[in-house]
Amino acid sequence: MKQHLGRQSGVQNVEVSLRDGKVDVTPKEDGQINPAQLLKATYDSGVTAAEMDMTACGKIVKDSSGSLALQVAPNRSFAFAPNELSKGLESLAGTQTIVTVLGQLYKKPAGKKKADLAAPLKLLILEVQKKE
Amino acid sequence: MNRKYLAMLVMFGSLLISAAQAQIKHIEMRVEGMT
Repeated sequence: MKQHLGRQSGVQNVEVSLRDGKVDVTPKEDGQINPAQLLKATYDSGVTAAEMDMTACGKIVKDSSGSLALQVAPNRSFAFAPNELSKGLESLAGTQTIVTVLGQLYKKPAGKKKADLAAPLKLLILEVQKKE
Repeated sequence: MNRKYLAMLVMFGSLLISAAQAQIKHIEMRVEGMT
């Protein structure tokens, strides 16, 4: 799985901890990394992803449907799963403020064996680390 | 004229800096069925 993930575009380094069942992915600075592609690659390597968390920084924008999103690259943004923390960022939409957040992009639904990888990933903010 | 040029340089510079700051810094996955 380490090699499989390491071959994905935008991935600089992959660390796998067999004991904890944890996989740490360090992205390259080229902004090409695609979390949805990583999930698919994980699944293709015969392993089930139970959860995916991401630390990212970017601007708060409103997407075409009016939902708040974190724009991490000119062509990539993640819509927020609404919670109290995402509501707190609403006033920053459309500004130049760069926000660093820790959020959950994926969690395997309880009881479901097969993951729904076709659904767009939503970012559930767990922590707002920095606003600048 | 020079001031206008300088202001434009500052504006484009700050746009470039904010674009460079936006990025995915780290991804962590918890997986099942790994041997």
